[in-house]
Amino acid sequence: MASELRVNTLKDASGNNSIATSVVASGSAKATLFYNQASPTVLDSYNVASVTDVSTGVFDPQYTNNMGSGNYSCSRMGVAVAANLDVVSYAYNKAAGSVRCYNGENNAAIDYTQTDVVVFGDLA
Amino acid sequence: MASILKVDTLTGVTTAGSISVTGEGNSTTTNLQQGLCKTWVNFTGVSSTASRDSFNVASLTDDGTGQTTIAFTSAMSNVNYTGSWYNNGAASGPALNQFANAFTGGFGARTTANYGVYAYSSVAIDSYWNDSVIHGDLA
Repeated sequence: MASELRVNTLKDASGNNSIATSVVASGSAKATLFYNQASPTVLDSYNVASVTDVSTGVFDPQYTNNMGSGNYSCSRMGVAVAANLDVVSYAYNKAAGSVRCYNGENNAAIDYTQTDVVVFGDLA
Repeated sequence: MASILKVDTLTGVTTAGSISVTGEGNSTTTNLQQGLCKTWVNFTGVSSTASRDSFNVASLTDDGTGQTTIAFTSAMSNVNYTGSWYNNGAASGPALNQFANAFTGGFGARTTANYGVYAYSSVAIDSYWNDSVIHGDLA
């Protein structure tokens, strides 16, 4: 049977390791994406409805459940295929429903076969 | 009324590995298990690679200049996990962590047991500050 528990604080059975449920909500990632832009494929995701392939090295994850605003944090990664590469990955144009992501390598945009997005912030 | 729940393990009723948490907007729910970070680590790669603190990290392996393999204590269910990785591209403390360092880097190979990271600042470099976080599905 489905159930709903309303509680302010969680502790372990010994009464230690206290954490407020508000911290659980705020501290949880709200979206994750592992994406192959070279042959556009979502390898794994959470709270991502679709991904728009904009141009080389640029793509927009679209959220299933929107964020409350564009003022959230987004961590980005590309995947270096060798150790000695200048890899730059970042997010910009953050909106409630999507975020624009860029990957570059040695000063040129690139479609990576593996790239990462993790979003923290407030849901709508 | 304030309330405290004392418990060692949380398990979903309908699906053991799925618990909903109401989000900050008081309407949309987010999934507790999906949102939790599964691994994090703060380590130095200078002199001898060593963890300062970590969660779900069994070991760090120095694979060469700027290259480290991070092994999980509890394995991931597949290789399609996501995360982030930061290094300060400097061989000593934060005083050298300046904008001009142009530090970058990326993930290396991923398996269910471990993943690689590469630190770079014009050349491969053993960095003093290295931070990584992993999200995805545990086995």
